Amino acid sequence: MRLIIREDPPAVGDYVANYICKRINDFSPTPDKPFVLGLPTGSSPIPTYKALIAMVKKGQLSFKNVVTFNMDEYVGIPSDHPESYHTFMFREFFSHIDIQPSNVNILDGTVEDLVGECNAYEKKIKSYGGIELFLGGIGEDGHIAFNEPGSSLASRTRIKTLAYDTILANARFFNNDISAVPRMALTVGVATVLDSREVIIAVTGLRKALALSKAIEEGVNHLWTLSALQLHPWALIVVDEDATSELHVKTVKYFKSIERVQDEVERSHAKFKVNGVANHQIGSME
Amino acid sequence: MTSNNGLICFTNCLLPQEDGSLLAKDLWIDEQRGIILDAQRTFYLRKERPTRTFDLDGNILSPGFIDLQLNGAYGFDFSVYEDDESYRQGMKLVAEGIVETGVTSLLPTIITQEKSLYPTLLRLLRPFSTPKSATLLGWHAEGPYLNHSKRGAHAPPFLLSAPDGTKSFEDVYGIEHLLDNEDWLVSCEGQNVGVRLITAAPEIDGVMDAVGELSKRGVVFSIGHSVATSDTATAAVRYGARLITHLFNAMPQLHHRDPSIIGLLGASPHLSAPMSPLPPYPSRKGIPLPGTPDSIKAMPLSGLAEAIDGTETSTHTPAFADHGSSVSSDSVIPSSAPTRKGSRSELHLEKGQIADMAFERPFYGIIVDGIHSHPNSVRLAYSAYPEGCILITDAMKILDPNLRDGVHEWRDGQRFVKEGYRLYLEGTDTLAGSVITLDTSVRNFSRFTGCSLGEAIKCATYNPAKCLGIESRKGTLRPGADADFVVLDRKGVVLSTWVRGKEVWVKK
Repeated sequence: MRLIIREDPPAVGDYVANYICKRINDFSPTPDKPFVLGLPTGSSPIPTYKALIAMVKKGQLSFKNVVTFNMDEYVGIPSDHPESYHTFMFREFFSHIDIQPSNVNILDGTVEDLVGECNAYEKKIKSYGGIELFLGGIGEDGHIAFNEPGSSLASRTRIKTLAYDTILANARFFNNDISAVPRMALTVGVATVLDSREVIIAVTGLRKALALSKAIEEGVNHLWTLSALQLHPWALIVVDEDATSELHVKTVKYFKSIERVQDEVERSHAKFKVNGVANHQIGSME
Repeated sequence: MTSNNGLICFTNCLLPQEDGSLLAKDLWIDEQRGIILDAQRTFYLRKERPTRTFDLDGNILSPGFIDLQLNGAYGFDFSVYEDDESYRQGMKLVAEGIVETGVTSLLPTIITQEKSLYPTLLRLLRPFSTPKSATLLGWHAEGPYLNHSKRGAHAPPFLLSAPDGTKSFEDVYGIEHLLDNEDWLVSCEGQNVGVRLITAAPEIDGVMDAVGELSKRGVVFSIGHSVATSDTATAAVRYGARLITHLFNAMPQLHHRDPSIIGLLGASPHLSAPMSPLPPYPSRKGIPLPGTPDSIKAMPLSGLAEAIDGTETSTHTPAFADHGSSVSSDSVIPSSAPTRKGSRSELHLEKGQIADMAFERPFYGIIVDGIHSHPNSVRLAYSAYPEGCILITDAMKILDPNLRDGVHEWRDGQRFVKEGYRLYLEGTDTLAGSVITLDTSVRNFSRFTGCSLGEAIKCATYNPAKCLGIESRKGTLRPGADADFVVLDRKGVVLSTWVRGKEVWVKK
């Protein structure tokens, strides 16, 4: 695992966006061989989306041959509800880039057969040969997607009841009316994320600091689901200075020191890819 | 995505919202259908995104302006009829020309006519548009039920009373033009937005009887050219009147003891009774004249000009004081008597909230040329009731942004004198409508009131549309509304105009 530390959220966004841009362009996606990207919602990815939009507008990056899978969606609110993740993704990202609507996948929390919806989602991810890169964020309790504390680290896309903390945290988006906050969501599982060939997590702000330390300085634990990332062979966490507040000085110094060799690591990764090694599935798909 | 799917994305622009704010956001339209799209639904459900993008360089993409009161333009006068063909040509001329002022919808307005002419004119004034023109929404009949003493430039011999109430209206305008809105629209083939508006003085004999019935049929009733007292004006609103025609002009000036029509902008919850139902309008016969306090009668005449007024009238003319049998008394509606109790039994404790009103205050049209209303008056009205404010031009046939000053022919041998935005009857100092364009009015309004450009735009788009009940189709950027736009720079100058998804005018 690598940990990249940047000054503030916009710098984190720029770093992540540059990274994704390079990955997509190196991949040279085509309609037959699209780049499959996993995407999150929430406040952490917004600077990344802003930076990616700017690159598309400048012509440095295109999403024409990118297929996206979103992490999660509420159950019980319509897709065009102002707080739905369909609305978020369209408003913050999809409306501003050149992605084709048919290449966008978001779980539908309005269908009757929610289990069927989840299974079909896993199947569809598989049909594309899995996710090339999953971008994510975390909650204050260390949850990744809606995989709240206690979620199985082997979980797949499924219905999930939201933790009380998460409902409280989201109440601000629903006129501070706790009863209006959806209590369920559809979410990809921890294993779904871990199956991606690469995972990038953006973590910013003091409030996420404890979750970050739990996830990377302690053991793998289902109470901090992000910690499962320790099992992933190609994971990158990009954080701002505030988010490092609960880390040991030693940890911070260590990761800052190894950033210097990052270019080297990336070069060797590219070499593996040329040799076809990295195209093998990393992690199990089932 | 190389083929054209007929969808357009406007980007890098500010969108005026219905609350008067300006929002940096994209707008998607369907060019073929000429409507605004719900972008998110188009993306997720129709699985399409626009193949064409217009970068508006940070300018404002506003709904097209709506003018409720336009008497004519480019030399054509909606009130002058020669034959059907030339009248239709005139409608086309105005509809296609006016887009250069940012107007995409308007109500052709006919001033008081010899009564036999109404059926002819109203038959022609069906909703109308060509592929590259603004929409003529229907008609605005200003008269003939106007108060003689506030007639302005309207011809005295043609003014009427309505002794038979609604039937009098039907006899003059033609019953087929006063059908229920649905039936009337059916008679206007192919158009699904249509509007009829009548300006009348509610104190004129029989007019009040017709307000409720006409409003029920979807005709917008506007109070104007009137000396209605506060009680009468309030009653008209409670019966259904939705608008005041050219506020401050052709009506009594604001008197604090009986603020008359202008006072409706400050209609007090104290006098509006949610509890008491409105009684049917009392028969005109046998209603005693209300007493007029001596203090009001004795008020000195104001030397200030009442714009549009041809005759000098007192600032507060009692309805029965200076004209004959055509005008009835101002009848007192019992429920609006100020001494009435029980409108609200308890005082409330929430700051910033006004007690419930039994009726909505009416919208008001206002001419913002700096002449018909002083900038202070414009700001005063806007401060009192911003949601009701509608900018109108009341422009005459000589409206043409490129016309020189001087003497111009009008009608019936009368001539205008144009001096900048001033327009007089030749040989008098009577203002006869205006020659201001609506885009200039928007800029003026923002300067006069100090409001933002977005808020001024609202008074020329959403407010008039709401008054007419067409705010789902015009004057808005809601999904499903017609793609009628005016692109303005940040100083409010018109850069281009679009109707139903097509660019029809571009600034050279």
